[in-house]
Amino acid sequence: MATTEEWRRQYAKYKEDVKKRGKSFYPYAMFEDTVMSLVVVSVIIGLAAVWYFTSGADPKTCGSGDSCLLGPRYSDPADPATTNFVPRPDWYFYFLFYLLRIFKWPDSVILGTVGIPTILLIIAFLIPFIDRRMERRLTRRPVAVIGAILVVLSMGVLTYKGATAKEALASEVVQAVPTWAQRQGFANNAEAIAGAKIFASSGCTACHTYLGTGSSNQGAPDLSAEGTKGRNKQFFMQYIRDPSKFGNNVMPKFGFNDQQLSQLAAFLLASKGPK
Amino acid sequence: MATATRNKKSARRRQLEAAINYPIDWLEERSGLVGAVRYFLFRKVPGDTGWWHTLGSATLTAFLVQAVTGVILAMYYKPDPQNAYQSIQHITNDLTLGWLVRGMHKWGASVFIILMFFHMARVFLFGAYKYPRELNWIIGVTLLAVGMLEGFTGYLLPWDQTAYWATVVGINLNGTAPFLGPFLADFLRGGAEIGNETLSRFYSLHMLLIPGLIFALIGLHLYLVIRLGVSSPPWSREAAGSDYGADEPGINGRSGLTQPVARSGWRRNGGDDA
Ligand code: HEM
Repeated sequence: MATTEEWRRQYAKYKEDVKKRGKSFYPYAMFEDTVMSLVVVSVIIGLAAVWYFTSGADPKTCGSGDSCLLGPRYSDPADPATTNFVPRPDWYFYFLFYLLRIFKWPDSVILGTVGIPTILLIIAFLIPFIDRRMERRLTRRPVAVIGAILVVLSMGVLTYKGATAKEALASEVVQAVPTWAQRQGFANNAEAIAGAKIFASSGCTACHTYLGTGSSNQGAPDLSAEGTKGRNKQFFMQYIRDPSKFGNNVMPKFGFNDQQLSQLAAFLLASKGPK
Repeated sequence: MATATRNKKSARRRQLEAAINYPIDWLEERSGLVGAVRYFLFRKVPGDTGWWHTLGSATLTAFLVQAVTGVILAMYYKPDPQNAYQSIQHITNDLTLGWLVRGMHKWGASVFIILMFFHMARVFLFGAYKYPRELNWIIGVTLLAVGMLEGFTGYLLPWDQTAYWATVVGINLNGTAPFLGPFLADFLRGGAEIGNETLSRFYSLHMLLIPGLIFALIGLHLYLVIRLGVSSPPWSREAAGSDYGADEPGINGRSGLTQPVARSGWRRNGGDDA
């Protein structure tokens, strides 16, 4: 650790060296800056062009008509009522998004949503005060190098996992409903089956798993045996109507009507775990 | 020869030069701006800076692209749930070069974020956050966080399914924070549901508050860059200030440039580990 005096001496020497041996910003450094900036602008224009010319005005033709190398121009219009849509943030939040699969609701989810990001931010702020040695060469900064490699690796892996995480498609999930009914023994319960279909097609399985279908996300629990927890129909209806009233601020309010809520509740009640 | 001709400028030529210089002198006398630009352009930087040092200005360029395309988009975009989606379709499919403006804004956002990370990585690996540049590192981390917030608020604006549901979840995640979380979530939503109020709020944050903040922070950041100077690459044999630690024999009274080659650089043995 260098003393304040050493730092000051070193910086005074830096200024002296630059004055004696430095180059003028213009044109030398500015030339490189300009070239790099032109590259940046060209890349942005290139991305915009590839995105536009490989997609069409109809978001639905992506994957069939258009190659959509960089995705559609937009997805379908926002619709708060139909929620068979898998929420996904922009790519630079994927690592956070994936972190939430590791921390399960409700005990540790705060760690994923707020805890880890806050800790990362605080560490980033403190770096100049943690590393107070004068040494700047990488070969002499093993801790910094290992730390950097670990950060890049874990962010990279989490981003990749978040990007490739397979969310079950609603249309595929619905096909599992008869199997569910059979395994759970509610095949004769029409209301529960109707509820199961809503459950399968409304995007619940984007976060909850059910008899192996769906993907665990945002810390949401498996619901295969939800009916064994001693809760009644009324509770389920109220909970799904507004999860935030029960301290769950992650699960959205879906806007189901009373009939749908009742069907969903019947479905959950009939879910006693596979036999 | 050349000096002789220059000394014998014709009266006409002297008049012409005075006329050209007049506006510049006028501005300089009243603002000092010409001197400031001159200082900025002709200031000395270490002789060994290279391509790694271009990442900061590249980030700035990406941000300026966002500012310009954003202003154009704001002329056609309609920030209410009834019209937002259609206005985005209109901009992308109908307006002349609308696809280019929106495409550049959309993809420029990612490029901006990536460049911030790259620039941060270069500053970290160069140890350029050390004395006296600690404060500029802190401003940088703030810029990174605020830049990501800018991305988050912009993501909702197309008002399509992707936008809507990503924001639903994003706001709900905010809501899990202790104490402040629920308030923040309510503030962002502008009510119990995501709708009209949310979109207006995100629009205002995205095009006024946050960009203003980013501009101000970049201004501070660049002020410090110019005031303190950029650091040399640490492996450079000519590193200004040589930065090699007080235990380094080459540092005693000698400038980095005049150090014996065999002693400087990273081949040296000994020293302490971090
Ligand atoms: C909007 C985002 C940013 C812009 C426009 C920007 C711009 C710049 C520019 C033009 C430089 C001059 C040297 C160079 O280009 O490398 C610089 C230096 C610097 N930046 Fe940034 N920067 C941004 C974000 C950041 C971030 C995220 C960090 C780190 C957390 C950071 C930390 C620093 C430091 C410590 C220096 C001094 C480096 C040295 O003296 O060698 N900046 N920045």
